[in-house]
Amino acid sequence: MAVVLVRVSIPQKGIDPTELAEKIKEKFPEEVVEVTNFRDQVSVIVKKNGIFQICKFLHDDPVLNFDHLQDLCGADYHGKKEPRFEVVYNLYSIRFHNRIRIRAQVPENDPRIRSVTPIWAGANWHERECFDMFGIVFQGHPDHRRILMPEDWEGHPLRKDYPLKGPALEKDWSGFTDVLKRSEELKEFEWEG
Amino acid sequence: MEQVEKIFETRELNVNMGPQHPATHGVLRLVLDIDGETIVNVTPYVGYLHRGIEKLGESLSYFQALPLTDRMDYVSSMSNNIGYCVAVEKLFEIEAPERAKFIRTIVGEMSRISNHLLWLATHALDIGAMTVFLYCFREREWILELFEKICGARLTVTYPRIGGVRNDVSQEFLDSLYQFTEEFPSRILEYETLIDQNRIWLKRTIGIGVISAEEAVNWGLTGPTLRGSGVSYDVRKHFPYDAYDKVEFEVPIGTEGDTYDRYRCRMLEMRQSNNIIRQCIEKLPPGPVMAEAPGFTLPPKDKMFLITHPAKEHAYYLVEKACKGCGMCLRACPAKAIFGEKKKPHKIKQELCTGCATCYVTCKFKAATIVIGGKGLAEEKLAEKAVAPDQLPEEVKKAQEYLVKHFEYIKRGPKVPQGELYVSTEVPKGELGFYFVSDGTGKPFRMRVRAPSFIHAGVLPRLCAGHLVADVIANIGTIDIVLGECDR
Amino acid sequence: MMAVGASHYDFDRFGIIFRGSPRQSDCLIVAGTVTKKMAPVIRRVYDQIPEPRYVVAMGSCACTGGIFRTYSTVQGCGTFLPVDIYVPGCPPRPETLLEGMMMLQEKIRKEQARWSPWR
Repeated sequence: MAVVLVRVSIPQKGIDPTELAEKIKEKFPEEVVEVTNFRDQVSVIVKKNGIFQICKFLHDDPVLNFDHLQDLCGADYHGKKEPRFEVVYNLYSIRFHNRIRIRAQVPENDPRIRSVTPIWAGANWHERECFDMFGIVFQGHPDHRRILMPEDWEGHPLRKDYPLKGPALEKDWSGFTDVLKRSEELKEFEWEG
Repeated sequence: MEQVEKIFETRELNVNMGPQHPATHGVLRLVLDIDGETIVNVTPYVGYLHRGIEKLGESLSYFQALPLTDRMDYVSSMSNNIGYCVAVEKLFEIEAPERAKFIRTIVGEMSRISNHLLWLATHALDIGAMTVFLYCFREREWILELFEKICGARLTVTYPRIGGVRNDVSQEFLDSLYQFTEEFPSRILEYETLIDQNRIWLKRTIGIGVISAEEAVNWGLTGPTLRGSGVSYDVRKHFPYDAYDKVEFEVPIGTEGDTYDRYRCRMLEMRQSNNIIRQCIEKLPPGPVMAEAPGFTLPPKDKMFLITHPAKEHAYYLVEKACKGCGMCLRACPAKAIFGEKKKPHKIKQELCTGCATCYVTCKFKAATIVIGGKGLAEEKLAEKAVAPDQLPEEVKKAQEYLVKHFEYIKRGPKVPQGELYVSTEVPKGELGFYFVSDGTGKPFRMRVRAPSFIHAGVLPRLCAGHLVADVIANIGTIDIVLGECDR
Repeated sequence: MMAVGASHYDFDRFGIIFRGSPRQSDCLIVAGTVTKKMAPVIRRVYDQIPEPRYVVAMGSCACTGGIFRTYSTVQGCGTFLPVDIYVPGCPPRPETLLEGMMMLQEKIRKEQARWSPWR
């Protein structure tokens, strides 16, 4: 029941991220496409097929120990490069202070990738949001449905070819147009007085 | 019991705790599967406050997207702004000056105290302790008044800016803040006296919502929700930003991982924040509050005051001889104050004109000009006094140029190198992360907000399983969610 | 809005209390952004309030959609609700909301036959 005050010292930096990227490249040579470095943050771009093995390796390895999935999101590079989508995993190790970013390329014609929910339970809602916003299907996800938009919404909003202001009023979500129709019908009972 | 079962034929009940509910903090919908009073499963439905901030951020420049971040976690908006500014500063590779860093630390900690006060008020109110709500709001009003002193807004401030803060703090503000830090510990003692040893509070919080350290990390929890389970992960210590490496503070860590430990963590955090503010006020260095990075920060506005200050008296006028009637200013005018037909000279309706200079910026034929002292004059007098833009006095021309540059700068944004970046900061609720993908233009190609409330709302099914219905309310309170941040 | 209910800007001295259920209330305050997912819920809650009933749209987002001109935001709750008082601000100061409620009280005082059966 006790809560203690802990003097947390500023930790030493973990393994150098470029070394980490090299380790991943050694272990999975056919999966790694590219390693980039921007402002001292290293990303490893991989193909989507081996993502589960890579994440499991990073999570279970006793030296690397990436136990904290900081963020899982999608990105749409429509028109900029092929493959169109990317699923980005930002990983951090709380004990050893290692950082890395994994970017898995997902093509538009086959937008399926294996879910990492068995490794990190927190990925559950992240992946649901990614599906909702981009349309990337996560195989093996326990509860695969939309989370932020209504369940029967059409379209995936964060794609680059989706309009910012949304669909025109006639093609809008049926729940909303029903509300507007109903309020029109009930307007005859509202009188300003 | 079996005889009772045979007679009554019990079954599971599906109850909807709808989005409109006094105890869910905002629009959170929960569907509870209950067996009698025990919960079998909880399914949270979020998205009732999804406003599309990430998509909106892609169409605005980095400067314009700053006010959007205020409105995500509207309870502690200073921290959101600080998180955004720290991330964008790393992307632009500029650094805020020392004084600005200390000021940002001060307001960040003030907003942490304000957030924890609101958390305590609503958490206690839901559990039943109504007096605590009124006491906490008394302190919160004090902090909001201090925010108003510093920047004019109580809740959605846009005070931390990219490269520093908006304006310097006055000595009066620092004095009243110091007085606040002297009195605040006794107020925390007041709240603790009311609930800390209260039997009802203990009964309702000890052993509720227990989660172990490994599971908590696996579920992606951060902030006090994680630290209550015993994991010492505080972004202020692991990735120090602003002035956190120059002040001394301790991080409260719990042992059991239940609601009571998380409550104690947050109470101790309030005391630590108080301490940090005191240290920052004592160590505050003199100097500028905005970085000197002409390509990446907004230039100061005083050079434009000659024409943009509201007290000045001038009007905008379209010179007839130069106007070709192309209609560009008509379409661009935000007040819809310009009238005219195609190929004929256009006119500005002075009553509707707000003096924003959009027509001056858009006109390629140099037909829009400014008439000093022309506010309120009739059309003919303006035509007499108006001179072509080239013949205006020097200061006015300089001020105009400055205005145009400022305008374009905000709309188009700075030139940012291509790349991607993830930076996180410690907001009162957990770890707020910003993931930017930049494609070389002034607008983010992808702006992703990693909101702690989103992940914490996802852990509700795990926390509530096996408890009673009333514990659901305690659990919602302990994970400290704000739906604005959860749904973005 | 919570600040208005707390002790500094007390709501209660104007005769206004927060109720948990729409069946027991007279006025609906729509605070914050209205999204398309939430619109049917708000309409349903409004329909449950017994007459005489009033609506206050609090905040820029509830009045007109505010700065969020996106695919999921309703541009003002006035599109599907009959709003009586618009309280602007982002967020409105507690005093602004109090004035809005006082204006509503004024409006109710001046009303004639608005809720009568001969509409």
